[in-house]
Amino acid sequence: MKLRRIEGDLWEIEREGEMLVPGRVYSVGPPAPDDPALRQVANVAHLPGILRFSLAMPDIHWGYGFPIGGVAAVDAATGAVSPGGVGYDINCGVRVLTTGVDAETVRARLSQVVSQLFRDIPTGVGASRAIPRLSEDDLADVLAAGARWAIRRGFAASNDDAERCEEGGRLAGADPAAVSERARQRGVDQLGTLGSGNHFLEVDRVAEIYDDAAAESFGLFPGRAAVQIHSGSRGLGYQVCDEALSSLAATRTDFGEAYRALPDPQLACAPVESESGRAYLGAMQAAANFAWANRQVMTGLAVRALARALGASEREVGARLLYDVCHNVAKRETHLVDGRPRDVLVHRKGATRAFGPGDERVPATYRAVGQPVLIPGDMGRYSYVLAGTSKAMEDTFGSSCHGAGRLLSRGQALKAARGRSIARELSQRGIEVLSRGHKTLGEEMSEAYKDVADVVGVMARAGITRLVARLEPMGVIKG
Amino acid sequence: MTAVRLTLPQPYRDLDHTADVGVEVTGASAEETLARLVLAQSTLLTGGELVAPGPDARVAVASQGGLAALSVELLRELLFRFATGRVLPGACEVVRLDASAAEVVVALGPYDPVRHAEGLDLKAVTRHGARFDRVDGGWRAQVIFDI
Repeated sequence: MKLRRIEGDLWEIEREGEMLVPGRVYSVGPPAPDDPALRQVANVAHLPGILRFSLAMPDIHWGYGFPIGGVAAVDAATGAVSPGGVGYDINCGVRVLTTGVDAETVRARLSQVVSQLFRDIPTGVGASRAIPRLSEDDLADVLAAGARWAIRRGFAASNDDAERCEEGGRLAGADPAAVSERARQRGVDQLGTLGSGNHFLEVDRVAEIYDDAAAESFGLFPGRAAVQIHSGSRGLGYQVCDEALSSLAATRTDFGEAYRALPDPQLACAPVESESGRAYLGAMQAAANFAWANRQVMTGLAVRALARALGASEREVGARLLYDVCHNVAKRETHLVDGRPRDVLVHRKGATRAFGPGDERVPATYRAVGQPVLIPGDMGRYSYVLAGTSKAMEDTFGSSCHGAGRLLSRGQALKAARGRSIARELSQRGIEVLSRGHKTLGEEMSEAYKDVADVVGVMARAGITRLVARLEPMGVIKG
Repeated sequence: MTAVRLTLPQPYRDLDHTADVGVEVTGASAEETLARLVLAQSTLLTGGELVAPGPDARVAVASQGGLAALSVELLRELLFRFATGRVLPGACEVVRLDASAAEVVVALGPYDPVRHAEGLDLKAVTRHGARFDRVDGGWRAQVIFDI
């Protein structure tokens, strides 16, 4: 594999063999040529219909078939859709709620706030029953309507929540009928639950503003409290992905030489316009809607919990959804390719949409500054709110990074945490954390992750996103 | 084949993996190895705690992809039962295993959210890196889970 520096932190994997396009890698420091994730970037460059580049964001790490932090846009009519290019947790994503409450007000009642959130939002293995078990009809509505289903049921920060979600909190191409009975069974009692692993709900303090105008537009003011939620489509999305991988792995070679020649069987895929491709896309989009409804239900539960713990009304809390982004999804979008608009299917696996100013797909209220891009860090340091740019539209199909990326394996992290109380260490730094399992805190401690500041720094220097604000955690709940 | 019923705990080895988790098990026979793989999955889910005895259930899977694919299919089926019924094997007996089918009898006990609080939330059994091979003196298998 030949790597050459294009400029700054951007590197190219030169096209070789049957690669259809080169790879482009944004990297924190020079990329290691033996990194297996780079081989995956090159493998993705074989995907039928791929356009311009197989892209990797600076938080890239090895994934199943596609690297996590990978972006691949294919021609929407003639290209391939790959479940591995979306990932198991379909529409895993992040949202941030702004509030009108001073962070110091929250800090004064931080234990109550964190305890109330932990009581009201189920976390951990098999978390369920945040709300009554869904009926079959309700589940079908969730799969079709996404966040809007939850808003109709009263789970909302304010009345414009749906407009402040990517795609309005709903993918219109969802086909609930394509979601199997098994996937439905896994999801039916999980709406409004956080899950485990790197999923979290945080109460943050707006610690620093880098762009006053953009921050004001986003409703971010220094010293205010904010809430950040990271979760996805729970077991339902996993089942959809698992079934699609099984099915497409068995039929991949039916679609011709380009599919037979794919270098990694994990790149199971099908033509977008095939029966299999359409079935996966319909089910995947329905699962994406489930994820939006999930985060929306948790939004309603979190706002109520915050108000209750603070002894305030929801009106006094003044919560408002800043934005909701998905970072595991494939979506039909129109982008300029070689100077002309083209319908493409953009796979973003561990990558965040980052549309620039003036784009009609960005909510009107943010259109002058660009789409909010929400990048969580780790539970001991900070997260970032960024804004998308026109350079992202030119260079990355309007895509940016999605998080810090792991530095240590879970085993290495647990080893490093042995004999320590991560909760106490965080508490000494003013961060209250509650988790279902003790081990989670070791696996998820700050040292297990790269510094997200380095990751967003690469994106900012490349002009893909602009720094708007930094959030620092005060209270965290995890699985 | 002499069917052997194995109960928790059983030995397994953690495979180091940056974002997910993997297990490797060995056994004197393919049946023993498969049973240990089933119980390794239970151990991850329970955080190493035992599972209260539960009723036996017969679980059969088929695959044309060999023993590695069969073991993935079996673990997927058991993970589905865990996700939807909150039950998991505390004991496992392999009653049939050939190149294209496996059948086990598992004692499915209840998941206890307090006792098993340190368990991992396994979301999927991946095909990536799945192996099931004859080695000197026995068998070795490995599976990576998405969490």
